[in-house]
Amino acid sequence: MRLIKKKWTPAEAEEWTKEDTITVIISPLIYVLILIGGALSALLIPEGFVALSAGIALMFLMIKIIDPKLSAISRGYEEKQKHYLEELEKKMKWED
Amino acid sequence: MVVFQFLDWFWLIAFIVLMVGSGVRFYRLGKRSESDFFLAGRGLPWWLPASSVYATHTATDTPMWVSGVVYRFGLSGLWYTFYAAWCAISAFVSTKMFRRSLAYTQAEWQSLRFGGMSGELLRGWVAGWQVFLNMFILGWVGIAMGKVCGFMFGWPLWIGLIVFSSVCAIYVLAAGYWGVVMADFQQGIIAFIVIIIVSFWGINSAGGAGEIISKLEAMGEAGRLNPFNFTGFFGGEFPVAWFLTMLFIGILGGLGMGTAIDWFPEAQRIQSAKTVKDASWSIWAGSALVVFRNAIWGAAILAFFVLYPDLTDVKDYEMAWFRLGFENLPPGMIGFFFAAIVAIHISTISTHLNLGAVYITRDLYHHYINPKASQKKLVTVGRVGTVILLLGSFIFGSIMENITEWLIFALWIMAAGIWLPGILQVIWWRFNGWAYLAAWVSNLVFSWLVVWVLPAFGILPELRDYHQFWLLMLLGALVFIPVTFFTKPEDMDRLVKFYVMSRPVGWWGPVRREAEKRGLIGSGEPEVSGRKLCD
Repeated sequence: MRLIKKKWTPAEAEEWTKEDTITVIISPLIYVLILIGGALSALLIPEGFVALSAGIALMFLMIKIIDPKLSAISRGYEEKQKHYLEELEKKMKWED
Repeated sequence: MVVFQFLDWFWLIAFIVLMVGSGVRFYRLGKRSESDFFLAGRGLPWWLPASSVYATHTATDTPMWVSGVVYRFGLSGLWYTFYAAWCAISAFVSTKMFRRSLAYTQAEWQSLRFGGMSGELLRGWVAGWQVFLNMFILGWVGIAMGKVCGFMFGWPLWIGLIVFSSVCAIYVLAAGYWGVVMADFQQGIIAFIVIIIVSFWGINSAGGAGEIISKLEAMGEAGRLNPFNFTGFFGGEFPVAWFLTMLFIGILGGLGMGTAIDWFPEAQRIQSAKTVKDASWSIWAGSALVVFRNAIWGAAILAFFVLYPDLTDVKDYEMAWFRLGFENLPPGMIGFFFAAIVAIHISTISTHLNLGAVYITRDLYHHYINPKASQKKLVTVGRVGTVILLLGSFIFGSIMENITEWLIFALWIMAAGIWLPGILQVIWWRFNGWAYLAAWVSNLVFSWLVVWVLPAFGILPELRDYHQFWLLMLLGALVFIPVTFFTKPEDMDRLVKFYVMSRPVGWWGPVRREAEKRGLIGSGEPEVSGRKLCD
């Protein structure tokens, strides 16, 4: 079994899995590294370049982990979107 | 005072023609329907709403705010700006859910999540609050532009307040959100380039990076280079407890909806993305750019500190980044810089003009006054709403100096006591509309008591902002948790529809089991068509 799942059916992708957990941990960490790394790099402080590089590397890792899942969710959802939109507009017009 | 030369005027006029022209060009698309005027037909690739997120949150007052906190606290002051971190989690949790709901606005989402009287009350309340808030933000940002123009040209404040917002309104009125997002794209690029140029020019003017570090060390201010330069866990001006509270609010807020003021413009961008995936990446990428921009500004403000270390009046040091540009750029580039400031300014103005108008049109007019209005009529109402917001912003802006303290308090009301309910409404099926309403009402009362009344009578000491946050959250929970359990849950049909459509995370067990029982979802099996929801 692969550590990170790459092929998802829309139904599988709807469930919360370890890919989501990893993503919501990595994602704020990337922002922290961009903030610290960006400021220190602009002042040519070596630790800044290390932090910024780590942030960029983690960003690519995050994309690799979560993008296939997001694609599957999108694929499954967009098939139903037209019907959902009709429902929404019916509600606006107070139609049963 | 700055005197423009020919090249300066050229940059300014060329940029304004480009910005307004690129917005007006989408007139035909914007007038097609309500969905086009407010959501660009829900058809945008991720990078367009992302650039709009970035451009919108780069306003004229933003460099003043960043300058103020970094000048006072050094790089650790950047954590004041880290509230954008809510997008780090929201992009993969609440953004997905909101995009799937298809609600035009957060107010509309409230009436999809909560039913009956409480849902309608919440929709009306959130819509009214957002009309007020957008008008206020327009006035706030407008008067910041008035200050910049006053600083540069010695103009009275009202000129900067009125002229540029009115220019911006041309393309917002013509093309609605199509105009906003297309102009935002090029405004975002211009703003990003100029922020980089001016910031590094400023660093160079202070002698370069090495010189800045040496001077800070010589001044005994090397601590300003440390992003974690705290004054103890609880004590001092900048304690760790404050920092942890900021991280807690910012990051966990992404699980909910409406936990940050910025959620509301982001919600419009989320809904304008063409797919759920595009929505997620647009929010993540736009906010990542905001964080990076703050970092660059932080370094530039340290350069300013080295140049002017003895400023004590906030009115002087909050102009730090602007001064770096105006005092150091060569002739001919000043106009380029000012044109970029105009771009920064009107990208924010355009967003809030269109955002306030969507609440007037979709939630107040279309929902309550004329549910069967034609698309043409709705676009017209959208334009009227835009004008109302523009005029209201002039009034707010002109009295801003006197009411700022009260309005910051009003914003605090929204942030503190509604933060947890904003999350619970997304992650807990049992949380209902009455509990959310109770949270709003009780927070109005508690925030007055905690911030103003009890300290005035000496019953409660004046608390730090992060103490107030925790106390207000606790007091609010003592009201809305009992209200949740003493009132009925939302109707199960509504909850099942909501669950199948949005697939929220958290405690939705009974609703999920009901949806499985009805055959609407199955573990590991493809879902049935959405049409079955209305069977």
